Amino acid sequence: MTLPPEEPRDAHEPRPAEPAGSGGPVPPAPQEPAPPREDSGNRFIDTSSGRDDGLNKCPRCGSTEIEYALGAKALVCSHCRHTWNEQNAEKLFGLDSSIAELQGHTLASGTADVREDLTMVTLKCQGCGAEVVINAEQSVQARCHWCRQTLSLNTQIPNGAVPDALLPFQLTREDAIARIEEFAGRRRTFAQRRFKEEFVPENVMGVYIPYLVVDGNMHAVLTGDGEVTTREYTVTVGSGDNKRQETRYDADVYSVQRAFDLLVDDLTVESAERFDARDNSAATNNILNAVQPYDVENAVVYNSHYLKNFTSERRDLNVRDVDHLVEEKFLSIARAKVQPTVRRYDRGVRWTGEGVAVRGTRWVSVYVPVWLYSYAESASGDSLVHYIAVNARTGTTMGSIPVSHPRIFAAACAGGTIAGIVGLVVGLLGFFA
Amino acid sequence: MPLTKEDAVLPLLAELSAAPGTPILLADGSSSDGIFLPFLLGPLTFAGIYIGIYRFYRNTDKRHRYERETKVAVGNLQQDDRRTGRKTGQRSRSMDGRNDTDHLTRVRRLRVQ
Repeated sequence: MTLPPEEPRDAHEPRPAEPAGSGGPVPPAPQEPAPPREDSGNRFIDTSSGRDDGLNKCPRCGSTEIEYALGAKALVCSHCRHTWNEQNAEKLFGLDSSIAELQGHTLASGTADVREDLTMVTLKCQGCGAEVVINAEQSVQARCHWCRQTLSLNTQIPNGAVPDALLPFQLTREDAIARIEEFAGRRRTFAQRRFKEEFVPENVMGVYIPYLVVDGNMHAVLTGDGEVTTREYTVTVGSGDNKRQETRYDADVYSVQRAFDLLVDDLTVESAERFDARDNSAATNNILNAVQPYDVENAVVYNSHYLKNFTSERRDLNVRDVDHLVEEKFLSIARAKVQPTVRRYDRGVRWTGEGVAVRGTRWVSVYVPVWLYSYAESASGDSLVHYIAVNARTGTTMGSIPVSHPRIFAAACAGGTIAGIVGLVVGLLGFFA
Repeated sequence: MPLTKEDAVLPLLAELSAAPGTPILLADGSSSDGIFLPFLLGPLTFAGIYIGIYRFYRNTDKRHRYERETKVAVGNLQQDDRRTGRKTGQRSRSMDGRNDTDHLTRVRRLRVQ
């Protein structure tokens, strides 16, 4: 599955980066949600929902003092106490349409290629007209220095800072701390002494991590060989003292081929290189991968106020960077799904060829919520960072605890010695019997 | 809560059964009527405890089982199974190169239309 070489373009024109304090272009006028359009074989979905950059107001009173309240599990206006949640992104943008009808590549606005050089974005405050610069690397919101309105990046910009949708936090911080304490508590005996002394689960942070969510419509083909046992019998081999019985098997060999249509719904793939599960050299990223799956079908339309009081990781992998990985995942899914059809081959199947013809894909950029406790194994700069992660939707918890190798060695030696003595006694008794 | 004896033993048993070297060692033992098998108990227990505890703490093997947990629909299945030969006197219960449960290892890529 290789995307066409053309750059997937956002429905919005990229706005140029501007240095702080130099002013900048006026953001584009509010737009109606644009209908999907086609370009170079790719189909684009505008997920900005017509919302302008800048003021992201309370729908009741117009205030921009809005926060996500975990108790209410909703956005709450600090001014009028109005609570609400954004609409379901799948339904609003038609992302729940039939996967079987997907043809070509469909890309939501938030999956546009990231641009490393575009980090400073200038917004014109619609309250007073002042121009405010936002560093999109670190934040998606800033206060207008004149009228104190909160200005937000709402529209997808090509630096990957704004996703199409997000899953709000469901699990409270207290729940997450309790789960992390329980997880680490069960692993205290052989943990590093320094870790036990410095373990402070209250340091857990709420982090939004970017994922690309892919739907796929494809045809898969697998070819190989399979064997069915036809006879099982024992034979006598050796001679003299070495004479013994061994089992032998006869089998029929078959050429096996399977071809089928495959519809994959909401396959997730990491889109921040720092948290890519394939790279565990600097941090235990497999931990973040292991707390999946997320109920991405419940993701809501992006609203920057959901991110307030949480940190968020910027997407830095493009669709083209991960499409090869996604195709491999499609192949793995095909191999897993075909397994029930080869049960008759009791000696197994050796697949020798596999392939998928991808008829259509649909890509959406989504933020998912994680409560994350991190701990650097040593004080040196290149030490491994251990994560304990809690899926803030389901509560699934997984982690990595730095171990004390001398203590494990001692325990293994003790167990091995006892087992060795038992084995020695049994063995000698058998030897002289 | 400290690690209990059960916590340590269960991973140990799992590791012993999963350790790639175990069947070979056991097979070697059985070729001599298993007389050396008890003497391997100590080293095997040592390795099992060490690997078991390490995995229980570090969870390096944990990952999202996307190939099973992703929502998938399959249809229009076409099967073609043809008998091509016969093997006799095989020592193993499983065929060579069996990979029907190894979903993550890729094989030769086919061009599919």
